[in-house]
Amino acid sequence: MQARNKLEENFIKYLLLLCAVTAVFIITLLVVFIFRQGLPVFGEHGFLNILLGKAWNPTASIYGILPMTVGTFYVTFLALLIGVPCGLATAIFLAELAGEQVARVIRPAIELLAAIPSVIYGLFGMVVINELIRYMERNWFLNYLPENYRWGYSVLSGAIVLAIMILPTIINISEDALRAVPRAYKEGALALGSTHFQTIFKVILPAAKSGIISAVVLAMGRALGETMALIMVIGNVTMLPQHGLWSIFAPVSTLTGVIALEMGYAGPEHRAALFAVGVVLFCIIAFLNSVALLLIRRGVDN
Amino acid sequence: MLLTKPKGKEKLINLFLWASAFFTVFILILIISYVLVKGVVHVDLQFLTDKPRRMGAEGGIFPVIIGTLYFVTLTIIIATPIGVGAAIYLNEYTRENRLTKIIRFGTELLAGIPSIIFGLFGYLFFVVFLGDITGGWSLVSGALTATCMILPTIIRTSEEALKTVPRSYREGSLSLGATRWQTIYKVILPSAFPGILTGIILGIGRAIGETAALLLTLGGSLLTPTSIFHGARTLSMHLYMVAMETGNMEKSFATGVVLIILILSLNIIANFILKQLIARHS
Amino acid sequence: MQQNIKIMVESLNLFYGSFQALKNININIREKEITALIGPSGCGKSTFLRTLNRMNDLIPNVRTQGKILIDNQDVFQENIDIVALRKKVGMVFQNPNPFPMSIYENVAYGPKIHGIKDKHTLDMIVEKSLKQAALWDEVKDNLRKSALRLSGGQQQRLCIARVIAVEPEILLMDEPTSALDPISTMRIEELIQKLKKDYTIILVTHNMQQAARVSDVTGFFLNGELIEHDLTENIFTKPKDQRTEDYITGRFG
Repeated sequence: MQARNKLEENFIKYLLLLCAVTAVFIITLLVVFIFRQGLPVFGEHGFLNILLGKAWNPTASIYGILPMTVGTFYVTFLALLIGVPCGLATAIFLAELAGEQVARVIRPAIELLAAIPSVIYGLFGMVVINELIRYMERNWFLNYLPENYRWGYSVLSGAIVLAIMILPTIINISEDALRAVPRAYKEGALALGSTHFQTIFKVILPAAKSGIISAVVLAMGRALGETMALIMVIGNVTMLPQHGLWSIFAPVSTLTGVIALEMGYAGPEHRAALFAVGVVLFCIIAFLNSVALLLIRRGVDN
Repeated sequence: MLLTKPKGKEKLINLFLWASAFFTVFILILIISYVLVKGVVHVDLQFLTDKPRRMGAEGGIFPVIIGTLYFVTLTIIIATPIGVGAAIYLNEYTRENRLTKIIRFGTELLAGIPSIIFGLFGYLFFVVFLGDITGGWSLVSGALTATCMILPTIIRTSEEALKTVPRSYREGSLSLGATRWQTIYKVILPSAFPGILTGIILGIGRAIGETAALLLTLGGSLLTPTSIFHGARTLSMHLYMVAMETGNMEKSFATGVVLIILILSLNIIANFILKQLIARHS
Repeated sequence: MQQNIKIMVESLNLFYGSFQALKNININIREKEITALIGPSGCGKSTFLRTLNRMNDLIPNVRTQGKILIDNQDVFQENIDIVALRKKVGMVFQNPNPFPMSIYENVAYGPKIHGIKDKHTLDMIVEKSLKQAALWDEVKDNLRKSALRLSGGQQQRLCIARVIAVEPEILLMDEPTSALDPISTMRIEELIQKLKKDYTIILVTHNMQQAARVSDVTGFFLNGELIEHDLTENIFTKPKDQRTEDYITGRFG
């Protein structure tokens, strides 16, 4: 009886161990399969040709991803520019200013924002934000924009939609970082006659710096990986944005978008190239997330 | 609350902080109400029970609803045991060592991967490589892919739930001569159940909202699926495809209404369970 | 030597929710003297100290009744300038709490937020404050070093310098040496006695010997009440209240 129990216990233990290592298993499989498909493409077409090539023309076997890389980073940085101030402000508000009642209104709203599927954001962006931008393009800036920048599909709409989508990430992690600042600093500052705002901006915020940076980096990772909402609003034109500052009205394409849109009808060589794009995307994001994790861990140790 | 009264320039900062915070609420209400208002006119019983025509530009979304239900159920059936099992192992069977560090690192990495990459992997592994077993583009392939994606969430929330179970429960059970698994099965899991359930509901929410990975693994067929080895479409996929392929915004919005109501309900249920949790432990 | 009354406390009561932490405190504090507040843990002496510079405002559910007049101005007045109050009434905490900045930045923080921008002026203030806090010689070549790298005793002296830099009139010290080793404690006690010349000092301590060594006047708190308040030598040699005597001789606390 005892022996059977022991056998059963061990069996269960190893079954559960198997469950636990599944994640590691999946990630290994993922890397192996995707890299196996994508890496040879770099060999065949030349690493730099792909990475820095300005033209993406599958029918002519040309697979330069620079337009998509630029598009991805352009939209992401603009989204961070819009989203970080608003998100950080809200985090400060929640950590230092909000009373119980007010927080009870704001927090669920942020949770819900995070739960809304990306296609809904895309739909809203497509119908509302693009309309507004098209209006601006055709009525305020008509003379400054080339013909194909006047359809509403633009870097700007992508950035606006993305900014809204990354708000919950920025707010939650920044708020945690602000709350983690030792109370002693706040007391010390107030006891010296600081106002509450002086305390926030000169003592608390600097002390929470690494946590806030990791919030931004994580948000950036999320933004870089976003697919659906962007496809629906940025136009998916594989061309480099031009015309200086007016380029925010340019329709662009992202690394994620080109994969999602073209996988459906790609021939074998084209498909392999899309996997190569996947490899690039994976490397960028794995790097960013590792940086963020390191920052969070360092912040905790301090 | 503010500990000192703002003067001069600080009043502006105060205003900006309040405005930012309420702006988030405003945006949420704006987006949800816009979709609801534009879409609800087109949602009626017929919409929910009819089959789609002209690629979804006309007709209803019945097969899509069925597809979503099949997909979510299958995903949960696969993901829950693995996720909860992993959490149980990490929390109950080992202490922190090199293996657990690797496992956690792998899980964190998994959590950060964008959905389109999961789509590529799901396509390569489940649709093509295991195509004979999964049926290629099918509910099985989609569910397996979605499992990979929500696994970190389920593991994380289950672990937290397990951690809230007081140590005294474990000690009490073991001291009565119960085995470790008996303790887990009869004492710990029931106690951690609300937390675990919340995690599962969160996972469902994520799966429902997922699109990119499913486009490459579920296939997108508009036929009502009759087996898990058939392809299918979910609400999110349908919304996207109708909007982009047919330009019929009305049907898209209508689909959006169903989607939003589903997500909101899930959220409310999850919060309700969470409140039960808090009440029970006080 | 008759000195002026700097602080007048009248009928001060303080409640945390329904718990009364301070019961009808009446005390006058003379300027440029060191007043020690002693008593067992939880007797209210720290709470009392924190009422003087309105730091209890940080705790929710705190209610106060009564008056605290500093230079004849009630700190509980409706429209009082709290910022100015805290500049005038400085505080040093039990656990040294330098900001995670350089030594220079820590000391310069106070003057900067109160409007001083000129670098030369700031340099002078930093030097003067660090000298007054008996820390200058040890750090003068390393002002840009992080304050967190200093030893506990040095950090506390830095906190004292930081407070001095805003030119307060009153110094509140909440068990400033209880987290420090004996040698640092001794140096800070010397420092406090030197500071008496320029500042009114109120020192909360659970260490009776410290109170006896350092202070001019002592107040004994018990269960939220001020039991006795007299010249230090009187409290320790001929206390008037039995409870005071019991505490001094170690019968409880």
